[in-house]
Amino acid sequence: MTAVSTTAPSATGRDLLRTPGVGAFLKWRHARLTLQIVALAVAVAVVLHGLLGPPIAPRNLATVVTWVHYRGLLVIALLAIGNLFCTGCPFVLVRDAARRAHAPARRWPRALRTKWIGLALLAAVLFVYELYDLWSLPAATAWLLLGYFGVALAIDVVFRGASFCKYLCPIGQFNFAASTLSPFEVTARDPAVCGTCRTADCIRGRRAPEAPATVLRRGCELDLFVPAKVGNLDCTLCLDCVQACPHDNVAIAARVPGAELADDRRRSGIGRLAARPDIAALAVLFTFGALLNAFAMVSPAYVLEAWLARAMGVTSEGPVLLVIFASVLVALPAALLGTAAVVSRCIIGGPGTAVRATILRYAIALLPLGFGLWLAHYSFHLLTGVLTIVPVAQSAAADLAGWPILGEPLWRWLGMRPGAVFPIQFGFVLMGALGSFATAYALAERDAPERPAAAAAPWGVVLALLAAAAIWVLTQPMEMRGVELPG
Amino acid sequence: MRVAPPRGGPRLTDGRSAPLRRTLPILLATAAALAAAACGPAPAPDVVFEWRLAPSPPVVGDALLTLHVQDRSGQPVQGAALRVEGHMSHPGMAPVVAQAAERQPGVYEASMAFTMRGDWILLVTGTLSSGEPIEHRIDVRGVQPPAE
Repeated sequence: MTAVSTTAPSATGRDLLRTPGVGAFLKWRHARLTLQIVALAVAVAVVLHGLLGPPIAPRNLATVVTWVHYRGLLVIALLAIGNLFCTGCPFVLVRDAARRAHAPARRWPRALRTKWIGLALLAAVLFVYELYDLWSLPAATAWLLLGYFGVALAIDVVFRGASFCKYLCPIGQFNFAASTLSPFEVTARDPAVCGTCRTADCIRGRRAPEAPATVLRRGCELDLFVPAKVGNLDCTLCLDCVQACPHDNVAIAARVPGAELADDRRRSGIGRLAARPDIAALAVLFTFGALLNAFAMVSPAYVLEAWLARAMGVTSEGPVLLVIFASVLVALPAALLGTAAVVSRCIIGGPGTAVRATILRYAIALLPLGFGLWLAHYSFHLLTGVLTIVPVAQSAAADLAGWPILGEPLWRWLGMRPGAVFPIQFGFVLMGALGSFATAYALAERDAPERPAAAAAPWGVVLALLAAAAIWVLTQPMEMRGVELPG
Repeated sequence: MRVAPPRGGPRLTDGRSAPLRRTLPILLATAAALAAAACGPAPAPDVVFEWRLAPSPPVVGDALLTLHVQDRSGQPVQGAALRVEGHMSHPGMAPVVAQAAERQPGVYEASMAFTMRGDWILLVTGTLSSGEPIEHRIDVRGVQPPAE
């Protein structure tokens, strides 16, 4: 085999794997398995309580854990560390168990090696969530989780690698997008060591010397080759490369969150961002989806729905939601980004500034703002309802034991007052907006080094409009429906 | 710069082992224990609830819930100890809890306050004079903002 050439920079920041305690745990062979077992136990409890427990969302583990705690902890983990929820993904644990009985033989079809199906599924989940008010339905939440297990299993016992994670998983696509803003990244500790490596165990897996067909430690299933890996896109933080590298040369290094968005290098397993319309679409869906998901929880959303229903002459929510989703996720981004690209092209001028190419290049700058809004929304539910898990667990234990074994449920245990959370939400949106402005400016500096401010200005206007819309949504009175399915 | 590993080599197989086998029984036992909880509380006694909210339609702020509790033969159910929990349809929101007082034979009232617009679930729980547990769910749709 040939040696590997690389141009990756050294990991100079703090390395989680060399942090006392944390590093030892993460390098432990069963670290991921431990996290997965905990997550699977929670998933089992969620499914069983969702299907068999009380059908009242605030009293059921399925809805409380899934829609209050899971989502909140997910985004906070992404903000504080990285893609930890993919690390502990219970679907992969079940998949690995199934693969022991039925090893996959096929490769994921080349024509489908994009994010488009995953994006469609993510949009579908957001749509179904609103249409059926999933937050209010414990049994439906449990079935959603079971369905997720089923689809992940069906795909990954047929197709090799992490096909479901990389190309289909809606949560995975969400996490990949958000993890571009995470403060840590898996990278080569010393690229020179990779330059002399002749086995590439980090991607091919570590083999038994006496039996090369047997992989002792799995390599990256998402086709991310550590020496050529740039950023967190597509990284599930599975630690397989950490375990497989025979030179102990993989780091989980601190970095500037979001800096990878302006990095135009070719990425292993991904290619160049500017050549990936599906990743640009992911940034659009991620950001406008955040706006839509938050908007659906405030009073003006119901006023708009009622008005649209009258205008369309319909009585069911489906067609109305379809119009709202198409408007916010397709028409509005097309109009805003298209206008910004045209104006930007006029400012920059010259060749190589086609509208489509400009949109592909700058759409990625939406991600920080989108992440700020997801953080604002999900952290609101987590912070205002963080203690509700206590009475719900007490209630579930009482159902299980037949008497209040953990005491009478403390239904007054909640969390922070909503008013006290608003400054935090505002801060998240503001930080996200600043990150988006900085990314757009960094991209413009490269495209138009003579006039970066002018080139970034149209994108700044779009980002300012979106940030203003986000703040407006957060200031609106909340109104949550969902006692029964819309008729 | 290389962006792919060296080509060739044998097909990958995964050598993961034992820990899953050891933990599966624990997971299955947890599942069985939770499934046992499915048996849940005993069936509700033969009691009919009628309810009224004032103001109607309900608005954010104070509300009075009046419950008429009867048995199947239409006789008022007296001496029950009832409590009302009001939950938003979304989990994680502040519930309201109120004790219901019997104003007339079989007529109970609970003063409460809706703290947010939207759909609410009122859960009436308690015991009959015989000590039998009782539970009844009331769905309240579309609590509106208070009149200006």
